[in-house]
Amino acid sequence: MTIPEVLCSSGPSAFKQRKGSSGRSMKTSKDPFKVGVLFSETGVTATIEASQLRGTLLAFEEINEAGGIDGRELQPVYYDPASSPGMYKILAEKLIVEDGVRTILGCYMSSTRKAVLPVVQRWNAMLMYPTLYEGFEYSDNVIYTGAAPNQNSIQLADFMLRKFGSRVYMVGSDYVYPYESNRIMSDILLERGGKRVADAGAGDFVAVVEDVKRQKPDFIFSTVVGQATAHFYRAYAEAGLDARKMPIASLTTSEAEVAEMGADVAAGHITAAAYFQSIDTELNRRCVAKVKARYGSDTVTNMCWEAAYFQTYLLAGALNAVGTDNIQQLLPAILNMQFNAPQGPVRIDATNHHTYLTPRIGRAGADGQFEMLLAAPRPVKPDPYLVDHAAQDWSSQVPATHAAGRMSVQ
Amino acid sequence: MKTKSGTSKLLRDLRTLRVIVFHPNDQDGQDIIRQLQRIGCQVQAFWPPAERLPVDCDLVFLAVRPETVALDLPWTTAEKKPPLIAVVDYENPTTIEAMLKFSVNGVVASPVKSFGLLSAVVIARQIAAREAEQQKQIERLDQRLAGIRRLTKAKAILMETRGINEEKAYEIIREQAMSKRVTTEEIVNAIIHANEILGYRAKADLAPELQLVRGRKPAA
Repeated sequence: MTIPEVLCSSGPSAFKQRKGSSGRSMKTSKDPFKVGVLFSETGVTATIEASQLRGTLLAFEEINEAGGIDGRELQPVYYDPASSPGMYKILAEKLIVEDGVRTILGCYMSSTRKAVLPVVQRWNAMLMYPTLYEGFEYSDNVIYTGAAPNQNSIQLADFMLRKFGSRVYMVGSDYVYPYESNRIMSDILLERGGKRVADAGAGDFVAVVEDVKRQKPDFIFSTVVGQATAHFYRAYAEAGLDARKMPIASLTTSEAEVAEMGADVAAGHITAAAYFQSIDTELNRRCVAKVKARYGSDTVTNMCWEAAYFQTYLLAGALNAVGTDNIQQLLPAILNMQFNAPQGPVRIDATNHHTYLTPRIGRAGADGQFEMLLAAPRPVKPDPYLVDHAAQDWSSQVPATHAAGRMSVQ
Repeated sequence: MKTKSGTSKLLRDLRTLRVIVFHPNDQDGQDIIRQLQRIGCQVQAFWPPAERLPVDCDLVFLAVRPETVALDLPWTTAEKKPPLIAVVDYENPTTIEAMLKFSVNGVVASPVKSFGLLSAVVIARQIAAREAEQQKQIERLDQRLAGIRRLTKAKAILMETRGINEEKAYEIIREQAMSKRVTTEEIVNAIIHANEILGYRAKADLAPELQLVRGRKPAA
């Protein structure tokens, strides 16, 4: 078989036909490769996790339609962990011990990743994690395909401060990802003489929006995730605030959340991500068309969907290269692997197991899609242990105008 | 919601840290170096441990092994030593004694995990910085205390030789300092010095100053 659009720098054998290599009987070479899949279809983060599940399963289908892994089927073993860290832990263990999988694709919230981490380490299995997160983690047993803060936070902070001003109102859910995102935003604010006007937790959003009205910040930085996102944006819209003048900036509000809250509610707000459905490449158009044909015309893709989709291809590429799901052989094949993803070229960094991604800034439009305001000219190296983001000036990398004419600033 | 005002300097400095790793070139040694590089430190590795630090550095990792516990590493007890983190594969009294001897500021257990190394680095640096700050403060206090002792002694000399009270003695010292435009410390030293040179008393009578004030408590 061949998997198009995959390049692998780990060796000449990668992605080439493997013809019945010696030592493998006909029987075992026909056995499917079982891969664990853990994304929630229920619970607080079901919307976004369900889209990650769709991205994963679409890749499975495509890979199997193209002949699988050297004729062997790539078989998902799926459970619904219901957005619960406890369930994630139990099901990860079940996948490895009872179902015999060696690789798990899954997790959205950091708390669920932290729950699965000791399990894959104990059994020397592998987790591929397709979600942006707060950084400061490395494990031999994990591949991180979502953005590290140096691939979205710094760009968003820089853009918002330049375009809207430096008086920031921070609203966030109460867990590790918001703390760390707010720390980075605050550092950049301090560096530029900006001001953190006020903080609010994710709770009574009507009261939060009332306070926003009183404080009149230049923009709002939201680290609200899950179902609460729609509640917050809706409260903002109902209060009659103007998103063009005082937008909400987010790292997590994707097309999935926009669809949930309604395009009219989201219009004008800003999100930083490595992928938007509106990315105008042939591959992305093809992928989006496939998703709509498969799941309905109103189905949207998003940054987490895309990471879930391309990481499945990376896994398939590595399985194809080494012919085994033993992590000792599989992992080296994944490191440095390149793939032409819907967002453009991505690559796994061999030193920190995170992924080269292309940072972008988008503004939600009336159609529920993001209009691209800014894009890095090339993929940015992941730097999950970067503490001092303020010192990094990203702006010089941005060309004044993009060839396509639609990626220039506003 | 938790808020902080600016990230700690101990964390912000990580990218400029020069780290020496005294560790054999094995799995643990390589894991430590890789994780330090991920964190963004500038790392150099040597084995066996050197008697002198080969380069200027801000932090040292030292594998404490049965074959190195007996080593004499003068830099570990030097006054201005860099923060030191031990990497141990045994936890027996011999190994622990060695860690005490080297005055380590932190410990990492073998097999080394990537988790925990960053915390060990930051905490060891905080402990070492606090220790250095306290040492400086102790030195300052020592100096002040010595100054007070000498002032008391100088006052005692004046009181004894001129038959005046303590208040008057202090006034003389201050007036002298002002008119000669020098510090009271210098006047105090001059008085004590002159008294020693003139030496009209037996050595035993000069000290200690508390006896000379004849039971009265000296005022600072």
